[in-house]
Amino acid sequence: MLTAQEAAKALSDLTLDSLYEIPEGRQVLSCIQCGMCAGTCPYGEFMEYPPRRIIAMLRDGLIEEVFHSESLLNCVACYACMSKCPRGIHLTEVLLPLIKQEMFANLSEVPAELQAALQNTLRYGNPQGLSPRKRADWVKSLDFPIRILPDDPRPADVLWFVECYTSYHPRGQDNSRAVAKLLHALGVDFAILGNEERCAGECARLVGEAGLFDTLRERNVGVLRKYQFKTFLTAGAHAYDAFKYLYPAYGFDYPLEHTTTFLAGRLEALKPRLARKLNHLVAFHDPCCLGRHNGFYEEPRALLRAIPGIKLVEMDHHHINSLCCGGGGGGMWLDTYYKSKGMERLSERRVREAIKTGADVLAVACPLEVSRFEDAVKVMGYENKMVVRDVVELLAEALGGD
Amino acid sequence: MQGGNGHKADQIRIGFYICHCGHNIASVVDVKAVAVFATSLPGVVVSRDYKYMCSDPGQALIQQDIRDYHLNRIVVASCSPLLHEHTFRTATAKGGLNPFFFQMVNIREDVSWVHEDRVAATQKSMDLVRAAVRRVSLHKALEPKRVAIRPEVMVVGGGIAGIHAALTLADSGKRVYLIEREPTIGGHMAMFDKTFPTLDCAACILTPKMSAVKNHPNITLWTYSEVTRVSGFVGNYTVQIKRKPRYVREDLCVGCLECIEACVYKDARFADEFNQGLSKRKPVYLPFPQATPQVVLIDPETCIQFKSGKCKKTCIESCDRNAIDLEQKEEIREIEVGTIVLATGFQPFDARRVPYYGYGHYPNVYTALEIERLVNAAGPTGGELILKDGRKPKSVGIIHCVGSRDAATNRWCSRVCCMYSLKLAHLIKERTQAEIYEFYIDIRSAGKSMEEFYNRVAEEGVHLIRGKVGDVYPDPSEEGKGRLVLQAEDTLLSRVLKIPVDLLVLATGLEPRSDAADVRRLFNISCSTEGFFMERHPKLAPVDTFTEGIFIAGTCQGPKDIPDTVAQAGAAAAQALRLVDAQSYELEPNTAYIVEELCSGCKSCIPLCPYSALSYVEEKKKAFLNEALCKGCGTCVAACPSGSIRQNLFEDEQIYGEIDGLLGTEFGTILDESPTHALTGR
Repeated sequence: MLTAQEAAKALSDLTLDSLYEIPEGRQVLSCIQCGMCAGTCPYGEFMEYPPRRIIAMLRDGLIEEVFHSESLLNCVACYACMSKCPRGIHLTEVLLPLIKQEMFANLSEVPAELQAALQNTLRYGNPQGLSPRKRADWVKSLDFPIRILPDDPRPADVLWFVECYTSYHPRGQDNSRAVAKLLHALGVDFAILGNEERCAGECARLVGEAGLFDTLRERNVGVLRKYQFKTFLTAGAHAYDAFKYLYPAYGFDYPLEHTTTFLAGRLEALKPRLARKLNHLVAFHDPCCLGRHNGFYEEPRALLRAIPGIKLVEMDHHHINSLCCGGGGGGMWLDTYYKSKGMERLSERRVREAIKTGADVLAVACPLEVSRFEDAVKVMGYENKMVVRDVVELLAEALGGD
Repeated sequence: MQGGNGHKADQIRIGFYICHCGHNIASVVDVKAVAVFATSLPGVVVSRDYKYMCSDPGQALIQQDIRDYHLNRIVVASCSPLLHEHTFRTATAKGGLNPFFFQMVNIREDVSWVHEDRVAATQKSMDLVRAAVRRVSLHKALEPKRVAIRPEVMVVGGGIAGIHAALTLADSGKRVYLIEREPTIGGHMAMFDKTFPTLDCAACILTPKMSAVKNHPNITLWTYSEVTRVSGFVGNYTVQIKRKPRYVREDLCVGCLECIEACVYKDARFADEFNQGLSKRKPVYLPFPQATPQVVLIDPETCIQFKSGKCKKTCIESCDRNAIDLEQKEEIREIEVGTIVLATGFQPFDARRVPYYGYGHYPNVYTALEIERLVNAAGPTGGELILKDGRKPKSVGIIHCVGSRDAATNRWCSRVCCMYSLKLAHLIKERTQAEIYEFYIDIRSAGKSMEEFYNRVAEEGVHLIRGKVGDVYPDPSEEGKGRLVLQAEDTLLSRVLKIPVDLLVLATGLEPRSDAADVRRLFNISCSTEGFFMERHPKLAPVDTFTEGIFIAGTCQGPKDIPDTVAQAGAAAAQALRLVDAQSYELEPNTAYIVEELCSGCKSCIPLCPYSALSYVEEKKKAFLNEALCKGCGTCVAACPSGSIRQNLFEDEQIYGEIDGLLGTEFGTILDESPTHALTGR
């Protein structure tokens, strides 16, 4: 029997040649070619090689042909295929990253936006290409201090890994300010890594850039080793995934929480403080990483229900059948590419579903979603009908008192 | 190879035989070397290898050698005792020896099938043979006991399997108790419209059999009744049955339905179970027109009198036979039967467990069983298939394998869904002329006339699309209001299709009933991993269970269609008849026995026995063992602090001798060193 770390290592060291040496890899041999993966994939109709055909090509020894296709640039790593596969094949986790890696190496031209994001991430540790020194600048806008570990390395109960969009993007910073307010209100002893933090790298790995991921992972693990803390917290749904599934192979073994689960676990303490009534009809969008990949469907809903005045509605696609915002697996930087191929932006499809429910708030719990959905709301002209808010923003607003 | 021929009467003279089992054993184990090795073992007089020991010539070899060499012990090294122990014991007996002077060595399942290294496998075989040779010399002659078999049979479950088994047994003159949990027999088959592949009307072929059950002089039919306790053993089961109150006397009601007419509820308003909740019934109701027995019942959950005590009780007034008895109480009855046939059926997969197909959420998504009712002339719509808004569907989707072949729900193929889906496609097309889109993974049309039926439905123009539907959502287009889009890859075209349909049918699979585990415990039988009742052998004992005298038939054993269910019910009836007509049953003699003078009457063994075979005799202050109940598990033998319980074929000396043989140690070494032995002074 392998230890958990050995098993995680075997998975992360996996190559296509050694695929059949681990149980998760051998699963592809059991594929019954039912096409569930292509049928559920939000971009399946645009793929010459959906997972089903990739497996068929692999089993027939024709996989080289797949490496020269761009099909998997359309994969937004939403876990829909994996969660519905009747054989339980670990598509998004195991097979697709390996294929993407080969495909990525063969791309005649990496779409410019994606290219820039990856280069920025390599150079600056964030896809926006902003200065790492400014990573914690958002903290200055708070009316209480936040401990930054490099400045004050005493042990903390909670280490909060802020992540990129939540550090630099104006709407992401709203998320961070809300989290800070909530942690502060709950009296949590927490600290952040400041400018020592780098992108967790999940998107890089799932777009097929394993090398970039390794660089980021190595650096982040090194930084974490310097400090003492009991719980590792992040608001990044993709970062959560990276630390849950990809980092343990390299010695990351801290108790891990996403802000949603962390707060849901403290709901009893939080509830009495949610004094301000927010009269909204809210449609909650299940983030792929939180919902389908980790089964956190009820936690964010429980938080929303705890806010006085909020009523929840469900869109056509929800829970396991949720529809991706289109930002995962590198999709965040492929909008121009998708548009050039005549593909509808998934965020727009999703906003149309949200509007159909009559909700005035589209609630999210993944930092990539806020900007994507806000953009879609604007493009589609629904600015007067709907706002996009993160669950933590609504909670912080309900705290009132400032 | 033969040893010496001169011998004394009390000398141990062993014949050893090793089987090639074709290539099964001989390809891994050097059988000739093992045979030569056996000649060196004490007591072995003759040692042979042979291609198939279980064959007639193989068995004749043993019998001939017993006579020629005056053998008094036999050892055969071959396959598992489960398969051929009985064969070789019989051969030993035919040679004139007590059949228990025989020992079997399993060098197939335990050696050749699990090892590749020929040298090591041969060595392991030799060790096992040495152990068996040591052991057999310590065997004693045993006489199997027989128990009488009561002629009455109980059949549990009144679906087509139980009905067929009960009629077969009753027709052969046996007394049958048919116990059914629901108020009527008929089971799932009574709910179906037509049956594949012949398109026979299910009711037309089933209801005559239901009436035959009711009218058969040899069948006692107890509906609305449940088995609550089973005790005893093969041939002598005592069964306790709970008869739930119908609040209507079965001996008086003639099914005139006047009471239903007279009920204070003018309109039916409670979900009708038989129609899958698609229609309404009153608190007093007959499940369906051909319900058997034709006796109404009152549902206390919905009847005003039971809920508030303030009903005008118009039903009672309307009944001129005074059959309505609101004071009726639950009755506990006890019956004695010799054998039991379990035919408790399946439950359909709950389509809500696959939330992305929208069952329970979108109004026009139905399960296959609901469609059976909707296309049935006696169903809630009189056989007209209409949408919730009253329109006729113009396009219909059918999704196969919902809750089958799926790691997230049930992994098995439910076997009948492909064919019933094709049948439903035919029936829906016939009734509505709608375009039908069937989404399948593989069409499984094995069995007589099944492929021909598939061919027929395909030629009728049903669209057969090879691909599992991945997403179901409301049609976003203006003209598509109320329709659902089925998104699936046509895997033969490698193209993702989006097909709008008015109505969606989910071909839900078959699964074990949710209380199968309780029933399993009640009857002391086993379930396979998926939860269906387990047969004793998947090929050679498909209706037997590991409990003697209890047989299984129909879908409680696994998904199957009506022809296979009926065939299996017949087989289960035949197996019950085999016991009943033999009138007695030979028990394995490997039971425990009590050496009374050593028993201190401490009672520690009594609660440990999983088969309730042990009891305490107050007058003697000793434990008593009922050999008919003992399965030879050895629990009490190991637990007895005074060493007063022993077990035939598993005597301490025999087991220690076997271990000595296995280890190659001096005879008696293990016995002398055994701390247990020293402690108990045995």
